Amino acid sequence: MSAGPYNYEYIFKYIIIGDMGVGKSCLLHQFTDKKFMADCPHTIGVEFGTRIIDVAGQKVKLQIWDTAGQERFRAVTRSYYRGAAGALMVYDITRRSTYNHLSSWLTDTRTLTNPSTVIFLIGNKCDLDSADGSQRDVTYEEAKQFADENGLMFVEASAKTGDNVEEAFLETAKKIYQSIQDGRLDLNAAESGVQHKPPQLGSDFTPNKDPCSC
Amino acid sequence: MTDTEDLLNETVLPEDLKKYEKVYHEQLHGGSVTRQAQFNYAWCLVRSKFPVDIRKGIILLEELFRSAADAEDERRDYLYYLALGNCRIKEFSAALQYTSAFLEIEPGNAQVKTLEEVIRKKMEKAEIQEGIKGIAIISGVVLALGSIVGLGMALSKK
Ligand SMILES: Nc1nc2c(ncn2[C@@H]2O[C@H](COP(=O)(O)OP(=O)(O)OP(=O)(O)O)[C@@H](O)[C@H]2O)c(=O)[nH]1
Ligand SMILES: [Mg+2]
Repeated sequence: MSAGPYNYEYIFKYIIIGDMGVGKSCLLHQFTDKKFMADCPHTIGVEFGTRIIDVAGQKVKLQIWDTAGQERFRAVTRSYYRGAAGALMVYDITRRSTYNHLSSWLTDTRTLTNPSTVIFLIGNKCDLDSADGSQRDVTYEEAKQFADENGLMFVEASAKTGDNVEEAFLETAKKIYQSIQDGRLDLNAAESGVQHKPPQLGSDFTPNKDPCSC
Repeated sequence: MTDTEDLLNETVLPEDLKKYEKVYHEQLHGGSVTRQAQFNYAWCLVRSKFPVDIRKGIILLEELFRSAADAEDERRDYLYYLALGNCRIKEFSAALQYTSAFLEIEPGNAQVKTLEEVIRKKMEKAEIQEGIKGIAIISGVVLALGSIVGLGMALSKK
């Protein structure tokens, strides 16, 4: 359906990055299929997903590249950073090491994307922080501070329960959309990560069409 | 709705291909290539626009698969990219053999099941297109015949 008629006005490219096993693929599946995969195998290279969302009354297609966290994929997954409008950077709140590696993920992202790329930090698996017997290994406060210091948006989320998953993907899109409105993001730049589809090009474009059934 | 076909249409940037090609060749001249370097290069090759590159990538992946007999976790990566590469050069039945080999080891793998589905769809589409092309050729022949017959009639009228 890549060359089919357009039922969206923009395409935003996202990447999901972070250590292996933090739940990147589960977040993607929760967002695109509203399902949780309890036994998710390691991603090979990259996985891909799309969903059409509504941002300020405009239909936006998110093209999401979910990268593999295993070390041996690190070199080539870097090439997917280029031209990303949004980057979801994920750690696991129950595994401190995944949080400690964030600065290196952040450096990679800043080096390989452009200044207008929106970076959203997600502390995943917050369902494992229950009152009785929490497995939490990173506090909300310190992660929030890290996010503020580096100008990142931040939530704690759970791919299992779906908590804050929509928010992370949608807030990122809103921020990107704002950048377009403010002129901070240049649509004509080759690597902005945003494509605009003029409605008149779509043969069956109908502005009041129901939201896509995905 | 997930149009995973984009996964197969995405191509490597020439500069990335060059970069990993260089590393691979340097190691090759040095006498020994690490599996990592060969994999990086092969991964770029199978995502190339050019079928010759993809074929080269497939050969490198086959080599890797044989040499990684001791590393099951790596072999699954090679199978996956062998399927993807073969699909991209329209060797659909070979591609499906690789996905089914993979699924024999890991039956529930959603990533590979999705790839298999995409390969099936592409295969059907290609068959339909081939079918239409077949018809076009036949009607082309009919047209040519028609005009020859027409020409013959025009000549005989003289
Ligand atoms: N309890 C809980 N488990 C989760 C959550 N998200 C993911 N998991 C589990 O964590 C494991 C790893 O999740 P994945 O989504 O495969 O992790 P990944 O980051 O994609 O890993 P790589 O592909 O290797 O980089 C799986 O067994 C999931 O079921 C969550 O929010 N809560
Ligand atoms: Mg994954």
